[in-house]
Amino acid sequence: MEHSDSMWALFQKRGVSRRSFLKTCAVVTGMLGLSPAMLPKVVAAAEKKTLPPVIWLHGHECTGCDEAFIRSQSPLASDVVLNMISLEYSDTLSASAGEAFEHHLKDLMKKYAGQYILAVEGGVPLADNGIHCMTGGRTFLAALKEAAAGAAAIIEYGSCAAWGGIQAAKPNPTKSVSVSDVISGKPIVKVPGCPPIPEVMTAVVMHFALFGQLPPLDAQGRPKQFYGNRIHDTCYRRPFFDSGMFVEKFDDAGAKAGWCLYKVGCRGPVAYNSCGNMRWWNGLSYPIQSGAPCFACGSNNFWDNGPFFERLPDLPVPGTIADADKVGMVAAGAALVGVVAHGALSAMQKSKQAKQQDTDVRGPEA
Amino acid sequence: MKRIVVDPVTRIEGHLRVELKIDEATGKVEDALSSGTAWRGIELILKDRDPRDAWAFVQRICGVCTTVHALASLRSVEDALGIEIPKNANYMRNIMNATQTAQDHLVHFYHLHALDWVSPVEALKADPAATAALQNTVLEKYALPLSGPMDFNFDAYPKDFPKATTAYYKAVQGKVKQIVESGQLGIFAAHWWDHPDYQLLPPEVHLMAVGHYLNMLDRQRELVGSHVVFGGKNPHPHYIVGGMPCSISMNDMNAPVNSERLAVVDQSIMLAINLVNYFYLPDLLAIGHMYVQKGYVDGGGLAKERVLGYGDFPDEPYTGIANGDFHKKLLLRSNGVVENFGKGLSAAVYHDLTGKDYADPAILAEGVEHSWYNYPQAGKDLHPFEGVTAQNYTGPKEGTKTEWKYLDESGKYSWLKTPKWKGKMAEVGPLARYIIVYTKVKKGVIQPTWAEKMVVDQIEAVSKVLGLPPEVWLPTMVGRTAVRGLEAQLNAYINKYFFDKLIKNIRAGDTAVANTVKWEPASWAKAAKGVGLHEAPRGALGHWVVIKDGKIDNYQAIVPTTWNGCPRDSKAGYGAYEASMIDTKVKVADKPLEILKTIHSFDPCIACATHLYDAEGKEVGVVHTDPYFKV
Repeated sequence: MEHSDSMWALFQKRGVSRRSFLKTCAVVTGMLGLSPAMLPKVVAAAEKKTLPPVIWLHGHECTGCDEAFIRSQSPLASDVVLNMISLEYSDTLSASAGEAFEHHLKDLMKKYAGQYILAVEGGVPLADNGIHCMTGGRTFLAALKEAAAGAAAIIEYGSCAAWGGIQAAKPNPTKSVSVSDVISGKPIVKVPGCPPIPEVMTAVVMHFALFGQLPPLDAQGRPKQFYGNRIHDTCYRRPFFDSGMFVEKFDDAGAKAGWCLYKVGCRGPVAYNSCGNMRWWNGLSYPIQSGAPCFACGSNNFWDNGPFFERLPDLPVPGTIADADKVGMVAAGAALVGVVAHGALSAMQKSKQAKQQDTDVRGPEA
Repeated sequence: MKRIVVDPVTRIEGHLRVELKIDEATGKVEDALSSGTAWRGIELILKDRDPRDAWAFVQRICGVCTTVHALASLRSVEDALGIEIPKNANYMRNIMNATQTAQDHLVHFYHLHALDWVSPVEALKADPAATAALQNTVLEKYALPLSGPMDFNFDAYPKDFPKATTAYYKAVQGKVKQIVESGQLGIFAAHWWDHPDYQLLPPEVHLMAVGHYLNMLDRQRELVGSHVVFGGKNPHPHYIVGGMPCSISMNDMNAPVNSERLAVVDQSIMLAINLVNYFYLPDLLAIGHMYVQKGYVDGGGLAKERVLGYGDFPDEPYTGIANGDFHKKLLLRSNGVVENFGKGLSAAVYHDLTGKDYADPAILAEGVEHSWYNYPQAGKDLHPFEGVTAQNYTGPKEGTKTEWKYLDESGKYSWLKTPKWKGKMAEVGPLARYIIVYTKVKKGVIQPTWAEKMVVDQIEAVSKVLGLPPEVWLPTMVGRTAVRGLEAQLNAYINKYFFDKLIKNIRAGDTAVANTVKWEPASWAKAAKGVGLHEAPRGALGHWVVIKDGKIDNYQAIVPTTWNGCPRDSKAGYGAYEASMIDTKVKVADKPLEILKTIHSFDPCIACATHLYDAEGKEVGVVHTDPYFKV
């Protein structure tokens, strides 16, 4: 059967009510960062557009991006995989294996030439003609080139596919690169993160399924709606940065009080991602909220911008200001106080630490 | 004789290939090889980096086993630097560890393993009313009503039960029908659904399991609450050397951990208990029982001969691992080696494995006879502290270096090395842990903790259900799969146990989560070595770190899948994957579904298993090309 079903047709086929369909469209509208006024357009798109099949390839990766994908809450992975896209080839979830699975891949590429989305998780090792990652008896490099040729669009899921990732960190023993270092002439969207936020991963697929095109991208090829701001700009701890109230070392009084983590290495000022506004687990937390400095895990080559717990060094990330103090000043509207006040407030913090914390926790009798 | 290749092996982590020689007349597997076909060199990348960052790097060895390498790494660095972490940090890490194991096992069973046993096609033949009735029977007959201690139980009633209604199963079946009829099978496409093994279970079991496959796909995400609260995200939550970054305060509005956050973790822990007790275990035991009744007790392989474990869950903080204190504090003492369990408890032999043994090259070493590496002295195995790796990719037996037909079982054929205990092969994993703990308790080697007693009780309860002694059903493909479920139950309660300890400790006024006395490199010894041990979901995991002048000089990990998936050795014989495949009967040579079942019973994680070691002070010959500085 040809893949010409709209999402609505598919919902009907699977016996889902019109009400559920509209509810899904509303969720998707919010998820895509569109205003409620756009709902009719989303509904129209969902009624008309065909759903592309998805081929998901794995290169040099850890499968953390797959794991993130199935942690998505809105929409749930089951709804995405069984009702919104047709996930036809996935090392992680597909029942099939071996020869039958490889045949299926070849059939798909022929049958849906120019129509399928290619999702790629992992970097591409180039050393020795790509022998450091073999799949189905050939190099991942060859498999990727072949699959990319007939793809309508390519999604680079995670920092490995988007930038080369951890295996590309110095000295890059396998000469790993990003997907777009190998493939050109195709619409490519980068969805970096280590791993990316689950709902960001599903939203990118949905955007394409609904609107038949990639979401608007920034200069680096990332969806603006998810990577348009720095963690620093959307951080709930930002007022502490602006006031010069910092965690000086882990588990000090400032750490307990949830002050700014910039002095223990936070990369928020140079990290473009949605953790600050969307958070993980549907808004429950993100590293900073759990007291951990951001690593900028969505940034190009973040692995070589360590040590992670040292105060922000010069980061060769285009479009940002390298000097963190300056970043702070600029971001805070040149509020010099943000930097100058470190000393005074650190002293205050020390006095706070000196006072014995009185934690009177009541619970049932043990 | 037919040679069959399965590549890629799917529903695993990483890139795995297996090749089999099958006697078509008898279905006997004459020979089998397993090959890890990707290699990333993470340990080499660690050289000269800050030891406080190591956990984050090695965590990315694997995102399915997220946290496990982080934890082993933290333990190795803390062992090297002599850092004892605070009580709360120990409890939190144990909670994250138990969370990981329970969640990982559940996802493995439903989403990586179930489709070897059950089929959406068979589910179409089921009667929804009979399926609802079956669901009730399964809940009655196969529940395993064992539990761990609970000090604070705020769960008013169990929130999650499988739906046992005709309407529900009608709806599930309706969905499956539409997917099958649309011709667009998606993740169910192109599989060997016509394999005779899918006829072993009645259609109602297939429908019930497919319903739970979908249900658990939606619920598994809710089990990782502790990772998100204490570590900020999942996969790949955050830690720090010396403890945890998530400070506790009941006086600060912005504190990372307060009463509300603890409630979130508690709820997530209770959900895991319920999902394991009412979905995972009953489903697993029902299917396993049917298989055993039909005589499926093959696929044991090496488990009958030798299993190995390291032990885990320090009940309280310890001063070090190499000094032996770690093993004195454990809640689950699965450390050691048990030989000949397949011959029964009385024939089984237990060997101890504690602190100093982990640094002893006579006890633990890796060989490369069939791995794509060279050692300076051919045939001499090396301990992780002294290993050397030089890549030596030789390609296949038939085909070219970039297009394989058949790999060369007589030469080198895998990126995995071959780890050995005293020169011998061993199987690791949930099954190994259970055999070890059971043997130690039964032979009086240890007085059991509550967790160890639960292991014995579980094994005895299942033996009763199956009507078979442990040595018959444990070291088999079904047993390996069943124990994973038992361990999910055990870990769900271990999770609760450490959560309660955390609460009691905070109540007593202790809110410390990090020991930062040795945070600064200036406070470290000029040279230090450390061992980090952890029982990961897939088995015994060890990290070995050498620190010099505040930087990582050497880093080496021997991971569970390296033990299990390693290539053969002319002296030591076959590793666990290969041995168990040879111990498996195959009905249809070119559709070796039984082999998928056997391989999946180990829960392979290949990205973990392939690695590289750099000799001290010796440059490994790699072409350094940095793709990033493109102007």
